[in-house]
Amino acid sequence: VRLLGALSALIAGSAQACLPGPPADSARRVQSGDAAIEFRPDPAIVVGEPFTLDIRACDGLRLVRVDAEMPEHRHGMNYQPSIRPLGQSRFRAEGLLFHMPGRWQLTFEVKGGDGVPHRLTTDVTLE
Amino acid sequence: MRFLLALLLGAMLAGGCLAQSFEPAEVQRILQHGHWPPPWTPDPSNRASGNPAAVELGRRLFFDARLSGPGTLSCASCHLPEQAWTDGRPRSQGQELVDRNAPSLLDVRYRRWFGWDGAADSLWAQSIRPLLDAREMAGGAGHVAAVVRGDADLACRYRSVFGAVPDDDDAALVGAAKALAAFQETLVSGRTAFDEFRDALQRGGDTAYPEAARRGLRLFVGDAGCLLCHVGAGFTNNEFHDIGVPFFVAQGRVDPGRHGGIQRLQQSSFNLLGRHNDDPGQATATRTRHVALQHRNWGEFRVPSLRNVARTAPYMHNGSAKSLRDVLRHYSEVDEDRLHADGERLIRPLRLTDRQIDDLVAFLETLTSESVVPQGDPTPCTP
Repeated sequence: VRLLGALSALIAGSAQACLPGPPADSARRVQSGDAAIEFRPDPAIVVGEPFTLDIRACDGLRLVRVDAEMPEHRHGMNYQPSIRPLGQSRFRAEGLLFHMPGRWQLTFEVKGGDGVPHRLTTDVTLE
Repeated sequence: MRFLLALLLGAMLAGGCLAQSFEPAEVQRILQHGHWPPPWTPDPSNRASGNPAAVELGRRLFFDARLSGPGTLSCASCHLPEQAWTDGRPRSQGQELVDRNAPSLLDVRYRRWFGWDGAADSLWAQSIRPLLDAREMAGGAGHVAAVVRGDADLACRYRSVFGAVPDDDDAALVGAAKALAAFQETLVSGRTAFDEFRDALQRGGDTAYPEAARRGLRLFVGDAGCLLCHVGAGFTNNEFHDIGVPFFVAQGRVDPGRHGGIQRLQQSSFNLLGRHNDDPGQATATRTRHVALQHRNWGEFRVPSLRNVARTAPYMHNGSAKSLRDVLRHYSEVDEDRLHADGERLIRPLRLTDRQIDDLVAFLETLTSESVVPQGDPTPCTP
């Protein structure tokens, strides 16, 4: 089962959104208002296997939470990911595992210097 | 001529002779359940994994009743080779009648969590649990260590795998458990009629796969939604769900399932975060490090593999379903009021017809392989 990744970022339409630089290979961008991140799974997401996310945020944004749920099934993951800052607005989220095929909604919570949280969500569909 | 062809076609349809073909999306879902067997990789948390000397030591320990406190029960008392490595009882009989059904050990090497509640995160840690449990083998670390130290052949085999039997009873117990795990890793089931069909589909071909099994397979990957949890080559997502089986054990006593399992896992000195894990990078401990204890874990139990399921009755964590038909009737008529109001929305009554139940059973029976009974090496150990 491979990541098909149907992205449906919540784009607020702001022309002033920060960007975390040119997109890296196979990275996916999620944007909400003036906040944006890019993420790349490692390894590719497979049902029942742990994976990590390499995440790059806009300068000054701090990643504080990563989580995922299956809205149709009304459940989340069985695991609580940990976040490791790598410096230069890069982060590694470890311990994610999608245990069923179907639509998962990934949520990234970031905070800027003003401490205001931003939630960025995107869909990942596993066949 | 046209009349004859139409007559022939009508007769074939009436007799069900035309093989059901699958849509591309169905084929894609079917292919997810293979290839079987998966490639062999050793367990990094167990330095004895794949070591033939450890396998033989583990085989001998597995059938040795001296490991139990009273000397009356071995691992094989509840995991009988001739019964697909289970015991055929609803709930197993150790020193006492326990609360749960003995799961088959076939393909246990491919699990990620062990036991119905996943209280163990490795096969060797799971092998320790019944040895110590007072209701099961009631052995104790000191007892198991003494049996190994006191038997010249076992001690010789232990030395050849791990070095001298350590004075530390817990360490000696872990060595014995890792040998037991090395043996159980060899219990890999063989290929099945489903595997032949699945691989033929992958090649764009077909096999003489029974028509009822095809209809059951279509339901399995389609409307019945079985593959949401029974997915992958092992027909399990290796996780836990509440399927509405009552978890009351006796009046005033419940089996907490995964909720209790996570708590026991986190308290165990034998989990993969501890000193007995042989994996230096501890990548094997990722799940253990991140598993989350949640209220919905109450009443959740491990999703069993369906390989050889027709040989492992009775079913469910408490053995409450006597037959595969009983299991399917449970899913057909599941009591939604029993499920947590705040739980996941996965289970709904399937309202299966008798024919659909027959078809699903026909499919599940095609997941049966030949018996697996490894032969031991009778050669005595030479120091």
